[in-house]
Amino acid sequence: MAGVAGAAPSPTPAPAAEPPAPKSRGLAARFGRATLDRALALREGSIIVVTLITAVYFTVNTESFFTAASFKTLLPYFAPFAIMAAGEVFVMILGEIDLSIGAMYLFAPFLFYKLNTAGIPSVIMALICCMAVGFANGFFVAVIGINSFVATLAMLFTFEGLALIISHGTPVTTPGTPGAVIGSAGHLNTFAEIFGGGTYSELIWALAIIVVLQVVLTFTRWGLYTVAIGSNKLGAAEAGVRVKLVTIRNFILCSVTAGLVGIFEAVRSGTVQPDPAGANEILFLAVAAGVIGGTLLTGGSGTVVGALIGALFLGILKEGLVLQGVNADYLLFYTGLAILIAMTVNIYVRRVRIGHGGG
Amino acid sequence: MADRPPALPVEPVVAPVSAPDDVLRVEHIAKRFGPVTALRDVNLHLRKGEVLGLLGDNGAGKSTLIKIICGFQKQDSGQMFLRGESYEPKSVDDARAHGIETVYQDLALIDELSVYHNLFLRRERVHRPLPLLANRQMKREARVALNEIGINIPRIDVAVARLSGGQRQAIAVARTVNSDADILLLDEPLAAMGAKEGGMILDLIQRLKEEAKVSIVMVLHNYVHVLATCDRVAMIQDGVIALDKPTAETSVEELTEIVVNEYRRAREAAHAEEALRAGTRSP
Repeated sequence: MAGVAGAAPSPTPAPAAEPPAPKSRGLAARFGRATLDRALALREGSIIVVTLITAVYFTVNTESFFTAASFKTLLPYFAPFAIMAAGEVFVMILGEIDLSIGAMYLFAPFLFYKLNTAGIPSVIMALICCMAVGFANGFFVAVIGINSFVATLAMLFTFEGLALIISHGTPVTTPGTPGAVIGSAGHLNTFAEIFGGGTYSELIWALAIIVVLQVVLTFTRWGLYTVAIGSNKLGAAEAGVRVKLVTIRNFILCSVTAGLVGIFEAVRSGTVQPDPAGANEILFLAVAAGVIGGTLLTGGSGTVVGALIGALFLGILKEGLVLQGVNADYLLFYTGLAILIAMTVNIYVRRVRIGHGGG
Repeated sequence: MADRPPALPVEPVVAPVSAPDDVLRVEHIAKRFGPVTALRDVNLHLRKGEVLGLLGDNGAGKSTLIKIICGFQKQDSGQMFLRGESYEPKSVDDARAHGIETVYQDLALIDELSVYHNLFLRRERVHRPLPLLANRQMKREARVALNEIGINIPRIDVAVARLSGGQRQAIAVARTVNSDADILLLDEPLAAMGAKEGGMILDLIQRLKEEAKVSIVMVLHNYVHVLATCDRVAMIQDGVIALDKPTAETSVEELTEIVVNEYRRAREAAHAEEALRAGTRSP
């Protein structure tokens, strides 16, 4: 790791992680190969290095990056994607994808608002509805056999549309936030503090969810079967893994995390915005965070912690570029490049890790 | 396939056969996949402690039969009996609960998982009360089991994708042996194996046979292997059992003869079908 960090940071930070890979292959010495193997044994290895380099680069090149204030503005850039990506990772490891998380992100807070006006315990009910949507996703994919991209794209449109219908395209004030509680303007109640309103609320949720889901993925049968299905669906079924059940379960998990993030963000900002474009951007950033973090879209391999770091990388990239005074028009451009580079590195890492080509 | 050209000169074993010490009996099993008839009327029995070799051409229905017995697929008609009782497996897990373990032709190994996770897939050891995987225990037990079986896998915590074809096959076989099952179904356990590794598996089966605790159905291609390892041989042709004999009463020559005849008949059948097609009906 030290050797990589020593490399001079280039203007675009991400490419710096690439050099070590081809070089060691050229040397091909058994010793070097073994050392590299060990370094890359961590799925998150490459993205940790890339993220560190990015952070160091911005710390050196901007005055205000490494400050508490900057950290606080960074939080909402990455905590939401990290949570959504954590759920998405469970679907991606299966070799599927869930695009409907964008719709859950948009739909859940409106549902929360509507239920709350009706006087129903609303967060829980909204999340239960998300679970139902997740179940439907899993059902269409695992039982009916629709390709997950198509099935969840349809669900994305359906539920974003439904969010627009029930909101009449009008923003509303999030229940429980200062704007909604008369006489408490400027003061957050406990509910809002916990569900996204507090400065560190989303960060704490993100860390807690990621720890729990990583443990589930690595140390439980559920996680083992998830990897098994993504790696060899037929084989897993032949061994007796209940493929449909696990698939449906993972889609439910994915929908719930997205709905939860939708509510957090609504509480944090104080309003529920009927903005499908924003929701779609969050959806793709969440998928990107998972992929950058080392989870394969082709399935069979993935990490929740990697998704957190992937989200952190995207957050740092955005925050750093903004602080550096980069024209906002360039942000998407750099994000796109960063994802391409991260994927190239990941595919190489995978080859080394599973011993592609024998040896 | 009722309108197949008739008069195939096979004498299929259509009547169910049995022995007093049968652990498994399969009667009148039929299975179609759309227009394809995989099994027409299969009758088979397996005695306690017996090693039954299952032969047959590619596509004869051997794997289908195995998958029906192990609960992965369901037959269209026919019955199965396990230790004298009616046996209708609902799933692979259900069959496993009845003591039936399977090595599939495609091995059903999970490339991304370690050797020991593959060995214990669906039979994982977990801690209580939190259901976390007891990885250390599984590693230890996997090591012991592989040593007992006599399969040499240098590292059991690497992904099985890193193993050679023969080693993978060995893991798949070890998975069934390292269980409480008393009936093993092995679908081509020697495919993809070198002579040395194949010998290892045959030795293992020989040892299991001597212990007489398990009964084995084994799909094989090599007649020499069948005659050397199995107690009895059954051959599937055209979805029925065309031959069912103790290996002591048959020979490589007889088995070859049957297959040569099958090829001849297949050619004749093809001609007949062509003639039919030239007529009014299409098959």
